[in-house]
Amino acid sequence: MSTDIHARHPGPRSWLAMVRYEGTMVARDTAGLIVPIGLPLLILVTSSSAVGDEVIANGRTALDLYVIPLVLTMVIASIGVINMPSFLAYYRRAGILRRLSVTPASPVMVLVAQVAVSAIQAAFGIAVALTVAFTVFDANPPADLGATVLVFLLAMAAMYAVGMIVAAVSPTPNSAVAIGLVAFLGLGALGGMFGGRAALPDAVAAIGERLPFGAAVEALAMAWAGGAVDPLHLLSLGATVVVGTVIAAAFFRWD
Amino acid sequence: MSTTAPAIHAENLHKRYRQTVAVDDVSLRVEEGEVLGILGTNGAGKTTTVEMIAGLRKPDSGRVTVLGLDARRDRARLRQVLGVQLQASYLHHALKAEELVHMYRSFYPDPRPAAELLDLVGLADQRRTIFEKLSGGQQQRLSIALALAGRPRVVILDELTTGLDPRARRQMWRTVEQLRDGNVTIVLVSHAMEEVERLCDRVALIDRGRIIALDTPAGLVRQARAADLDDAFVALTGKELENTE
Repeated sequence: MSTDIHARHPGPRSWLAMVRYEGTMVARDTAGLIVPIGLPLLILVTSSSAVGDEVIANGRTALDLYVIPLVLTMVIASIGVINMPSFLAYYRRAGILRRLSVTPASPVMVLVAQVAVSAIQAAFGIAVALTVAFTVFDANPPADLGATVLVFLLAMAAMYAVGMIVAAVSPTPNSAVAIGLVAFLGLGALGGMFGGRAALPDAVAAIGERLPFGAAVEALAMAWAGGAVDPLHLLSLGATVVVGTVIAAAFFRWD
Repeated sequence: MSTTAPAIHAENLHKRYRQTVAVDDVSLRVEEGEVLGILGTNGAGKTTTVEMIAGLRKPDSGRVTVLGLDARRDRARLRQVLGVQLQASYLHHALKAEELVHMYRSFYPDPRPAAELLDLVGLADQRRTIFEKLSGGQQQRLSIALALAGRPRVVILDELTTGLDPRARRQMWRTVEQLRDGNVTIVLVSHAMEEVERLCDRVALIDRGRIIALDTPAGLVRQARAADLDDAFVALTGKELENTE
């Protein structure tokens, strides 16, 4: 009597429904929109007035090559490494994942829906920040737009990968939030979030450059200036995506 | 496989949490289309037992098959035909009742219509209310509707009517009777004697992780030489069933 029962995985309509309702959840939680949309603007405004307007390279100023890459990286890192794992932790603690686990839905659907929705938020927040940068602070567009977009997408994937590692390996929901914060601050500190990597000891700076945050800032700056992006940075980001995906696939569980 | 194979077959289930033995050698057979009640005091091991049947918990030893599928190994297939209402389950708090119904329907190839599911549990008027604004009883009824979204052949209901008002309780009873008429196999964890008496073909009494009696409601009463099921419960377990309603 079991021969007529087949494991059918939910189809594209179900995936779309998950993304749509994740989006609904986020849209109804207005406080949760402050970080992805408010944070980039805040950092941009507070940092932009501090930098001068002298040209650093290829007609691009300090705002274009230092502030904007750092702002973009901070946005995707905070959403990917802190926000996404905490949302999953809440789902886990509230028993929502457990309830879904007795349906044909798979944990991957929840992960993908989360990533899709937070990517939309990030895109919106960054669009607002860049509009202000271009119109109010006279930022210059990237010298190599295609390379900049590609590097940005790779960096974003890397940050979500870090977030997935956090979500997958955290033993308890609360520890996911703590581990996410520590990962964000640690990667950020080594990657020049607090006053630039130049201020760090050489060895530490070298490590930071090889970790996803530092690599993202450097690669974005180089692409924005129109120079050749260092393969070391691309390798770091690519490796993070691979490692994060493998770890998440192996360890992420419903409960 | 023979046609007399049971819908649910649990063999020698054991489960221990640290020092506490939650389930101690439980075996059960539930035939297709049968409604089995599981009665017991709090902490007797009812929920652990049904969670092992649902494949949510791994027994320390023993084995469960549902419709011939191994509850752990064949989880993906079992999910297609099993509907589970968990005790104290929580859903996406900011979604409306009808949105949750649509989400859960989307997981199945041939789901029941959304309006039918909401009607079945009496939530048609609350369909645009978000989950966290529903009362506890309404949340529970919604959870039952979601358990039925995929037209399951086996349904596990953990605390069907605890916390529901009398009208809602009778409505849930009618829902269970409709499922039974449709030859759905049902395992019903309950505290309510009246409910068990009305709905269940057989009842398993669980005490300290063991099944101490398994019979029809009338059979249990006879076995205990009691006046009714309430008295039979006290006679067989030596405990009052706490009234948690």
